[in-house]
Amino acid sequence: MISIGKVSKSFPGVKALDDISFTIQYGEVHGLVGENGAGKSTLIKILSGIYPQYEGNIVFDGSVRHFYSAHEAQTGGIATIFQELTVIKELSVAENIFLGREPTRRLGMLDWSVMRDKSNEVLQFLDTPLDPRETVGKLSVANQQIVEICKALVLNSRIIIMDEPTSSLTEHEVDQLFITIRRLKEKGITILYVSHKIEEIFEICDSITVLRDGKHIGTVEKTETSPDEVISMMVGRSMNMMFPPRSAKKGGLLLSVRDLSRIGEFEHVSFDLHEGEIIGFAGLIGAGRTELARALFGATALDTGEIGLYGDRIDHFAHPNDALSRGVAYLSEDRKGEGLMLELSVRENMSLPILKKISPYFFVQGARERELVQSYISKFKIRMTSIDQIVESLSGGNQQKVIISKLLLTESKVFIFDEPTRGIDVGAKYEIYKIMNDLTLEGKGIIFISSELPEVLGVSDRIFCMREGELVQEFTRDEAEPEKVMKVLAAGENLTGGDAA
Amino acid sequence: MNDLAGKNTIISSLRDVFKVREAPIFIYVIVMIAVFSSTIDGFFSMKNFEIISRQITTIGIVSVGMTLVILSGGFDLSVGAILSFAINIGGQGIVFGWPIWIVYPFMLALGIILGWINGFLITRLAVPALIITLGTMNIYRGITMVITKGVYITPIPSVYSFIGRGYIPFLFYAAVLGIFTFATLKTRFGRNIFAIGGAEESALYSGVPVRRYKTIVYIISGFLSALSGLILVGKSGFVQPQAGLGYELNAIAAVVIGGTSIFGGSGSVLGTFLGSVMLGIILAGLTMLAVNPYWQGLITGVLIVFAITLDSLRYLKR
Repeated sequence: MISIGKVSKSFPGVKALDDISFTIQYGEVHGLVGENGAGKSTLIKILSGIYPQYEGNIVFDGSVRHFYSAHEAQTGGIATIFQELTVIKELSVAENIFLGREPTRRLGMLDWSVMRDKSNEVLQFLDTPLDPRETVGKLSVANQQIVEICKALVLNSRIIIMDEPTSSLTEHEVDQLFITIRRLKEKGITILYVSHKIEEIFEICDSITVLRDGKHIGTVEKTETSPDEVISMMVGRSMNMMFPPRSAKKGGLLLSVRDLSRIGEFEHVSFDLHEGEIIGFAGLIGAGRTELARALFGATALDTGEIGLYGDRIDHFAHPNDALSRGVAYLSEDRKGEGLMLELSVRENMSLPILKKISPYFFVQGARERELVQSYISKFKIRMTSIDQIVESLSGGNQQKVIISKLLLTESKVFIFDEPTRGIDVGAKYEIYKIMNDLTLEGKGIIFISSELPEVLGVSDRIFCMREGELVQEFTRDEAEPEKVMKVLAAGENLTGGDAA
Repeated sequence: MNDLAGKNTIISSLRDVFKVREAPIFIYVIVMIAVFSSTIDGFFSMKNFEIISRQITTIGIVSVGMTLVILSGGFDLSVGAILSFAINIGGQGIVFGWPIWIVYPFMLALGIILGWINGFLITRLAVPALIITLGTMNIYRGITMVITKGVYITPIPSVYSFIGRGYIPFLFYAAVLGIFTFATLKTRFGRNIFAIGGAEESALYSGVPVRRYKTIVYIISGFLSALSGLILVGKSGFVQPQAGLGYELNAIAAVVIGGTSIFGGSGSVLGTFLGSVMLGIILAGLTMLAVNPYWQGLITGVLIVFAITLDSLRYLKR
């Protein structure tokens, strides 16, 4: 067994791990769960040698092991498959599998036949008929993941850490991955499975360790616990309701969208949004929802269509600034690239869209800025040491709250939330749903884009199904049963005249 | 209770001072002045400081523009070429016998126009600013050489020398420093520059008119290059086509040594000032020590590598 004994790790100002102790049995699939900022990533990075400095010790094979680099951890028998895969897309499958330890013949020439044979061997073991000569960039994400697993196998790894392995897989691919995991387990390989998704944890894991706020809350056998119990261990309170009740009343028309098209992305999209309403856009990844949101917000140009706002007909927004100044705000799905300046402070990030307001004479009014920012921080209980803290050092959930606060500061009437809960934990998700709910109580309207069907159905008043760039069907909250909606989204079932609104 | 709180704020604000990005370079500058003053007779004198201040002014002013450009995530290799273009093409006015109150605005306007061309191209083409300004640098210099045929404008009326006398260049420099320190720290303009350099897409989605601000930054850089040119003419008393050669790299050196991130989004005008002072002191000190001038290049190079190492350590720590 692997025992993690009294492991602590601090970063400036934050104690990421606080005296963690638990054991992982050889040959089991061990789930590691916890909210964002609970310390999962830190623990993985210690185990895989990326953070060599920590307190406490890690014992396996009967001796204390301390890895000072990722390479040492790998040769020591621990392989990690990160959420962001580390395959090199330009290289072939075999080259990736043997990356950094290529078998060579005399004069350092690559021994291709050994590479190919051994690659075939592990690929066959995993029952994945890939050609070792295939370029990895041409493979699906699921198969790229297989390549990483092969890498671990060729290294004779005894422990494989998987960090959110299903985050970009389809349902079918997830099933395939689970088959692969079971196969690895049969071979006696220990898996540390890190995930947000409780259902998956319960499907694949033998035992589960829960972390919260850097502390070890408990390690339980799957057979002796329930999803509800694990969730309440994660959040520190029991969550009876996944979604807050909807109580806002539908008011006047806010936004009407007619016949919007951007060639190659989406076509003939029409819908209305009223005060107090949340409309959900369901769809698979690549259905054109984000593209629609961006064009609507003025970040990209439209080919056809027009927008009406508060009863006025306006052609379209020429620039995001145009949209914001008329009360339409957009929360991007890409938190780091399109939402935040990671190196700037919370204050500077949050005040960016309202700079005009707080600098009427060109100079930023510091006191007013602090007051406004502080009020939102208290309102949404964003955890930070000061409003001058650099955003990068906040946890994912808190970063997301910073972005949302930043949008709310604009006092817009229409909000487009694109995947607002991606990559954040259950507790923070609930808080975001509540913020959305409260906004609608104030008479604002929300366009809610999400790839997680349960939340689209749980939060929205009306649900629009988008498929291959078209709105194919609209459901009311009552009509929308998960199976029915999923059928529309995934299957090629063509519903004629399904145009919404 | 209040006393204690007061004391704590003093301690914590002292600590904050050392956390400031410019603190290390400030200390280096002080140490260097101390070392040179104790080893070289006459280093610590008003006369010498006047010489240093005059030396750092021209590149110093250009470096302030470069700081804004780099903060916004860009580069401007054309600063030296703009300087030369402004004073040589604008200097044709001197040849034609135009009065100074037309020649000066004309020169500055040329700087603004060339800066605007940079900004326009950079915000419209999907090519890094480094490459675009590498191109415009050669174009601007090329035009200057073609028109002037490499001929100096000399002699020039003595009114043009006024701006280059004694501490006057440094007063201009101080004013530029003051204005842009304030602008970067306290204005909407400054905030938006940092935001664009930090994450351009995020800035766009937050409603920042990214193109406009980026263009403005290159216009400012062009304007300051031309202003620096006026002072250079004042100091030298003639206009030469090769003016400003290599300014772009010296300016980038001052910016980087001053702690501004080469990737944009963090740094300061104050840091660049300290970077310029440091380079000026080294130059003066080594000259007074009669060190072979080739060593100066080597030492500047080491400083740049050192500064960039510090900057990248900042990233690695995360």
